[in-house]
Parts: sequence; structure tokens; C-alpha cells
Amino acid sequence: MTATARDPLLPTHWFNILHDRPQYVTSAVSRTRLPADGKWAGHGLQLQQPFSLARQSLNTADRLIPIPEEILDLYAQYRPTPLRRAVRLEERLGANARIYYKYEGANLTGSHKLNTALAQAYYYARAGVRRVVTGTGAGQWGTALAYACQVMNLGCTVFWVRSTLRQKPIRGEMMRLFGAVVHESPSDLTEVGRRALREDPAGTGTMAVATGEALALAAEDSESRFAVGSGENSVLLHQTVIGQEAVSQMALLGEFPDCVIACMGAGSNFGGIALPLLGAAEDSGRSIRLIAVESATCPKLTRGHYRYDLSDALGTTPITKVYSLGSTYVPPPVYAGGLRNHSAGPLPSAMYADGSLEAMAVDQLTSFRAGMLFCETEGILPAPESAHAVAGMMDVVSRHPRQGPPLVVLVNISGHGLLDLGAYSRFAAGEIEPVSVDEASLSQSLTALEEFNQRIAEPAEAT
Amino acid sequence: MAAGDSSEVAVRPEPHRPLVTSLVFDALTVVIPGTRVEALNEGQELYADLGMDSLRFAGLLIELESKLRVDLDDEELMTIELVTVADLIDLVERISLRTAK
Repeated sequence: MTATARDPLLPTHWFNILHDRPQYVTSAVSRTRLPADGKWAGHGLQLQQPFSLARQSLNTADRLIPIPEEILDLYAQYRPTPLRRAVRLEERLGANARIYYKYEGANLTGSHKLNTALAQAYYYARAGVRRVVTGTGAGQWGTALAYACQVMNLGCTVFWVRSTLRQKPIRGEMMRLFGAVVHESPSDLTEVGRRALREDPAGTGTMAVATGEALALAAEDSESRFAVGSGENSVLLHQTVIGQEAVSQMALLGEFPDCVIACMGAGSNFGGIALPLLGAAEDSGRSIRLIAVESATCPKLTRGHYRYDLSDALGTTPITKVYSLGSTYVPPPVYAGGLRNHSAGPLPSAMYADGSLEAMAVDQLTSFRAGMLFCETEGILPAPESAHAVAGMMDVVSRHPRQGPPLVVLVNISGHGLLDLGAYSRFAAGEIEPVSVDEASLSQSLTALEEFNQRIAEPAEAT
Repeated sequence: MAAGDSSEVAVRPEPHRPLVTSLVFDALTVVIPGTRVEALNEGQELYADLGMDSLRFAGLLIELESKLRVDLDDEELMTIELVTVADLIDLVERISLRTAK
């Protein structure tokens, strides 16, 4: 018996794009190409993720992967999420467009991250893991995982990037409310963190360091394992409930989008809404534009290089081919902490490389302006990350000809901004200054990325 | 000979370890392109010598799952830590023996 009545629009399967496009399966460069300093001798191979999740990330055989009943019960508590037409925003923009948005912020933890947090916690608990350790940028993932771990009776430790932790301490209280142990990153708990603190005691922190700290802590404790909230194919897979619902909901309205827009951190909310719509478009012979909107302060797609790179400062994760600004790049401390990843995930990177998605970068002030307008017209305050998607959507709509068929746009509002009220207030008071890329830092990091790729390039490019 | 004895002989050909070793080496050549069976030995370290990472490790387990025709168990795999090729052969030997029973 199910615990919650299930809406017929709730997907019963995750949509696996790797079935349609097996060329997107993640590949990695052999670690033997790394400089032989001997530090890894005697290092054991241990699964950090349950094998079920790894299997999902590499699955090319199944287009639809069944969602376990226990996870469906939990999804049913907050899914399907609303899909609405932004009529008042259309009027304000005077746009020749029908603008739809999918709203992922209405669940307890406030963002789309819960879709994969519940799934991952389920698999970790089933695998006998006692504690899950993770790194979080904006804190949405940390909050979602803390709640999911509480549901599954798992312990949870979160390394949270310093700049965001200090911007919104109340989110930390949410994580603790759900039983998580929260550490500011960089911390003095791990060598990765201590090294970052030695290099820059007042540093803002990065996702690469927070992830490295989580990996280091997980490696020290046999009952703990590392979990990741974005970038992995399995994470994108879990998020496809968003896009599948959107396909059904738009069909009920007799619509199909010409264009799907979402913000881009490492790619989970983007993939979640875009991949099922791409599949549906191909099934029906339609064309569709997929647009990823990134922060202009962390422009991994629009200014990054498609190279092999590490995703964490510890250096143990696979060396995968991604659009990256280099793992040493430290983005300015913008409020959209979820967009500060130095690289996109391997799958969206591959899509960008083959032209399946477009990208644009939006600056912080433009995004806040868009978020305020969205709140004013639609009654929903988007998270700073989601506000980037709104700004991107407004730009796309403004470029559409006033004559002729209206553009049908679907934008993903990946989370609410109610814990970012302080930031919006500062913006409204004119207290937020423009922030731009530190060009010298970016150039240095990209140079290091190129040098890293030259070192690992021989004898073959990649395996 | 009892029926149980004959069935055990039927599903567990001797010597067992050379067969498992061959199966493991074959799987390693699939997930590490460019690797030849002749270049592999039990003393090599999976991480330091063969450059295995978590992605390739997962690919290796999927390959072994297919070759052994078993569903590997999340809980069992979560408890293992493998340093050398010999450790991997030991694991596969345990799984194949259990499956055979």
C-alpha cells in the first residue's frame, strides 16, 4: 500500500538519455598519466557510491529505469510540481511568447535537489552505509540531503562553501534541524581544507575544496561514504522526473516548448528538465532549443575549455572531459553559490560540445532584476540561481520577432529564494555592486588546465 | 558418488583460480583500453599501477557482472577495498564460488 495518493502525472520511471545517446557515457583518462610521485601507492579502490548508482550512471541499455516504490512514495509527497503559464510576466515584457515555468521550490527543502537526495539516500541506506558526507555550494543540496538522510535514518555531514554559508546562515539551521553536522569549508578537519586555509586564510571557498574535504572525511571512516549532488549521470537521471512531468503537463495544455531554459551549475536541474524534453522532441520529430544559463562570474561553458579535469581538490575523482575554467579557479562570492562550480558535468559538457545545447552567461545584477520582476508578476521569489534562468529567458524572448508565431518557452525555477531575502533586500537597496570575473585568476587557472592536459596527453589522447 | 558431489564438480571446474584470473584479466582489458593480458599480473595495484578510478571500477564491476551472470549486491560491494589485482581475483573467486553453490 502506498503512503500517499499518487497523481497520475507522477513519473514511475527515470528517463535515461544514455540509451538514445550512448556517446555521452562518461569516459576518463587513466590515472597512470598523472605525475608519478608515489603518493597513491597502496591506495585501495573502494566504492563511494552504491553500485546501483554507478550502474545507473553507465547504463546505455534502458531508456526508462523504474523508480523504486519507496522513492515513489516520497516523491508523491511533493510531486508532480506545478507547471504554470507566466501570463502577467508575458504582459509586462510585451513579449511575442507564451512563457511557461516549472516550479521546483515548493517542497520542504526548497529546491529540485530533493529529487536526487531521496533517491541517493535510499540506495546508500540499502547498501548498509551509516553516514553520508558531501560538499555543497548554495546549500540547497546540503539541505535536501540532510532531510533525505533523516528520512532514511542515515547520518549526514555537510562541508559547505564558506562564502554561501556566511551569506545565509539560516539555511545551515535547516540542515542542522534535519540532523546534519555542518562544517564551513575550507576547514581544519582535513588536509585539503588546511592546505586551502594556508594558501588563503580569508578565502571564500570553492566546490572543489568542499568536495575534496567530503571525500577525505569519507575515506577516513569505514561507515561513511561520499555523495554528490550534481554532475554525475545518475544525478541527472533522478532529476528527469522534472522534464517528464513537464512533457505531460504541457501536452494537457496542447503545448510543446520551442525552447527550454535552465540555469547551469554542474547541470542537474538543466538536465532534469531538458533531457526528457529532448527525448520527447526527437520522438515526435520536433526541433527544440536547450539553453543553459550560467553566472558571468563562472562562465565554464561560454569561456571554459573542453578538457580533461579533476572535479575536486583532493584529486581522487575520475579525470573526465568537461567544460572547465580549471579546478584552481576561485569564482567571486556571488549569491548564486550553486553556479560556482568550476566545471559543468561530463554529460552537459558533451552536449555543449556537439551543439545539442546553447549557453549564455548572465551577470548578478541582471539576475536579481529578473528575479524581482518574476516575484512581482508571478508571486514566486526565485533562488538566485533560478533568477539567472529567468534573466536568460527574458533575453531569449526579447530577441524573438514581434511578428509571426509566438515563441513557446519553458523555464525551470529550480528553487525558491526565501532564504535569500537578505540578498534581494540588499539588491533592492542598491547595495550590491557589479561583480565580474577576476581575469588574472581565470587566465592563470586556464593556463594550469592546459598544462595539466599536456602532461596527461601522451601517448593517446584519452581512453 | 553422491548427487550433491557430482553437481559441485559440474559447476566448479578445477583448478578454479586460473579460470577466475583469466576472466578478471579479460575484464581489465575491456575497461582499460590498450592493456594486454600479458602485461597484467596479480601483484599490480589497481589504482597506482593500472590507473583505475571509481568510474573504471564501476565499469569493471559491470563487466564482471555480465561475465559471471550474477547481480552484484550493493551491500557486499560497499564493504570491500581492493588494492591489488590479486584482491580483485579473490573477490571474484568468492562471488563465483557462492554463485555456483
